[in-house]
Amino acid sequence: MNDKREGAVRAALSGRIDSGNASVIEAELRGQLEGHAGEPVILDAEKLEYISSAGLRVILRLVKEHRDLRVVGVSSEIYEIFEMTGFTEMMTVEKAYRTVSVDGCEVIGEGFNGKVYRIDRDNVVKTYKNADALAEIRHEREVAKLALILGVPTAISYDVVRVGDSYGSVFELLNARSFTKILIEEPERMDFCVREYVKMLKKIHSIAVPEGKLPKIKEKVLCAVRRVKDTLPEGLGDKLLGMVEAIPDSDRMIHGDCHTKNIVLAGDEVLLIDMDTLSVGDPIFEFLYMYNAYVGYSEYDPGIVLDFQGYDAKTAREFWHRTLAAYFETDDEDAINAVEEKIRCLAYPYLLDWSARHPGHDKEKEKATADLWRSRLVELLGRVDDLDLGAVAAAGRDPDELNIEAATDNLDEVINFVNEKLETCDCSPKAQMQMDLAVEEIFVNIANYAYAPDKGRATVRVEVSDEPVTVTITFIDRGVPYDPLKKDDPDVTLPAGEREVGGLGIFLTKQIMDDLSYEYRDGQNILTLKKKL
Amino acid sequence: MSVPRRIDLHMHTSVSDGTDSPEEILGKVRSLDLDMFSVTDHDAVKACAVIRGLLRDGDPVFVPGAEFSCRDEEGKYHILGYGFDPEDPAVLELVALGHSLRMKKVTARLEYLRDKFGFTFPDGETEALLALDNPGKPHIGNLMVKYGYAASKEEAITKYINGIRFKKEYVRPEEAIRGILDAGGIPVLAHPFYGDGDDLILGDEMDKRILRLMDFGLLGVEAFYSGFTAKLRCEMIATAERHGLLITAGSDYHGANKMVRLGDTGLDEEEEFPEGLCRFLDIFEK
Repeated sequence: MNDKREGAVRAALSGRIDSGNASVIEAELRGQLEGHAGEPVILDAEKLEYISSAGLRVILRLVKEHRDLRVVGVSSEIYEIFEMTGFTEMMTVEKAYRTVSVDGCEVIGEGFNGKVYRIDRDNVVKTYKNADALAEIRHEREVAKLALILGVPTAISYDVVRVGDSYGSVFELLNARSFTKILIEEPERMDFCVREYVKMLKKIHSIAVPEGKLPKIKEKVLCAVRRVKDTLPEGLGDKLLGMVEAIPDSDRMIHGDCHTKNIVLAGDEVLLIDMDTLSVGDPIFEFLYMYNAYVGYSEYDPGIVLDFQGYDAKTAREFWHRTLAAYFETDDEDAINAVEEKIRCLAYPYLLDWSARHPGHDKEKEKATADLWRSRLVELLGRVDDLDLGAVAAAGRDPDELNIEAATDNLDEVINFVNEKLETCDCSPKAQMQMDLAVEEIFVNIANYAYAPDKGRATVRVEVSDEPVTVTITFIDRGVPYDPLKKDDPDVTLPAGEREVGGLGIFLTKQIMDDLSYEYRDGQNILTLKKKL
Repeated sequence: MSVPRRIDLHMHTSVSDGTDSPEEILGKVRSLDLDMFSVTDHDAVKACAVIRGLLRDGDPVFVPGAEFSCRDEEGKYHILGYGFDPEDPAVLELVALGHSLRMKKVTARLEYLRDKFGFTFPDGETEALLALDNPGKPHIGNLMVKYGYAASKEEAITKYINGIRFKKEYVRPEEAIRGILDAGGIPVLAHPFYGDGDDLILGDEMDKRILRLMDFGLLGVEAFYSGFTAKLRCEMIATAERHGLLITAGSDYHGANKMVRLGDTGLDEEEEFPEGLCRFLDIFEK
């Protein structure tokens, strides 16, 4: 981010400032600030040892003339004086940075821009390699704060420290595991990861960000597209540019680097971290970076994703595919493929631009990788004509239908969906409760048995028809063929000790609903429940 | 007339250490379009009589005033007096006491500089100095610069003049408060957080200080002051309300001797005034 203050006039405060020398110091400062009336001023207080009220008044008078005046490098003792007297509310007063040594500290994370060290029992420090680390830290803190205010669960650093020649930000150590770690250590929890990941994506993509707070990601991608468009065959570059330009502007939040290392589970709370790439735009831009993280970078050499994430290319691809299906609420492979092709039209130009600007040692491999990306892009541009994910998603989705992972954890979402539909008709609370019960019985059955021991998706369809008002709820899954209606009703007249444990759910459902029918068609179990209101 | 909204009750003329003469300051007050003002020289009331003689119809309300430097075992204070009769013996006595202590100190300082460093000044200069209404360290400092003993007034004060200290020669706050009350005036603690100008007194210490001065008869505090931040201002207003004290507003304008604008008190004329300030203004409204 551009820090206008870098152009500010700087002056130093040092030693003691009290009534004995305040006027001398004021005269000196005024001399240094002469000809800069109204301009931003930075007073460096690193060597300031003491300041009395006479000194405070000198600063107060300067603030009246230079609205954008800040005092930096203030020791904690002196900061306290500024705080007690209200100066910290009136102007920017920045504390001196604590110095932290990371010698011998455990490295608990490493990213492209720096390392994360554990400095004591409760704290970690994230260091930055680049020269303008301070500006970057400030930027990240600001956007993380903004995200938190807008409702994104995230971690915010509480202190900025000096680490050697550079700077770091200190975070409380969260007892947190990244989704990357979970996928490696407990691959059976992939469905949990997909569900929470999609929930988080949908959450941030639903947040409207006030104008001007975050950069527009479309601009950044457009720059990349402009740089690579001339390396594409005649006409295709312009077609691509036209398609990207046609993506509508959006004020929705985009993380910009949302892969499984940047989403963590702390206790039972899911947090999004590494907020420095936060921006606004159409969700397709989010998917661009996600596709590259899971698939794009490692299309030529599948070892890359293993190096970066620690899980293999197959796992990465599966996670990505299931994420798309869940995000767009469909298990229609054609729809998912159509979405993915549009995303890849953006992902490849970005990769080509990135690779051109980050040359490595293995020229031959780089060329082969870029050639592969380019050829795939060219092929896609032959058949993709727009980058509108909304259209695909809407076409693949029916407002009367919910497509969801068949998992008991999703029961609430299914019930909510059904109740929302029931609200459109005049349904009594009793009938609604009964139908919720029926939906629970059927959905839990599918979740537990249809795909066991694997996981799969289910579709729940709710329709309300008139005269007489009838609710029709249809459950569709692609699991093992099973007709629940064939099962004999349990004998409810038997004493408790002699009754069968199972079968009560479908029996209840039969009692509640007026009509049940089952068919197995096109590899799908289709169970239809009807109730007259 | 309507309730005064634009006020400045704390300023210094050349009678003490300001640089504007009483006539000049009156001219500035007029051009600023103030509704009420007071001139508060250090331990001196001469400017009050001068200004009274110059006032004409349509001028802002003038409140006679003075600022007394006080000290006791607990610290230093500047006590403002408002609305007394400048001819009243009680005030004149106070002024005379302050003045004599001041003269004593000036004389002692000049002797100290002569004996310790060998700094001497032509007779005419020392006479002129002693003839001033309120000579002090800055005046001696200026002389030293003029005769090449120091590079600047500040160096003169910190390196040489401050070499001699006076522990017992001061006016006590209860004396100042009593004198002001006896002359029919209102005693007010100037820039409370800053003591005599260079302390920084906060929290409990501030509260204790005010309670002690109230025991002596203090009636008000200068809660609006050019050198206060909004937070300090709010705190002092709350303190005044807690103790039922009057509130005043002053800039402490010193002409070219201090970087303070006349009329800059931190009081926003558009805002509702605190009750203690309204009460103070009511007393002096024409």
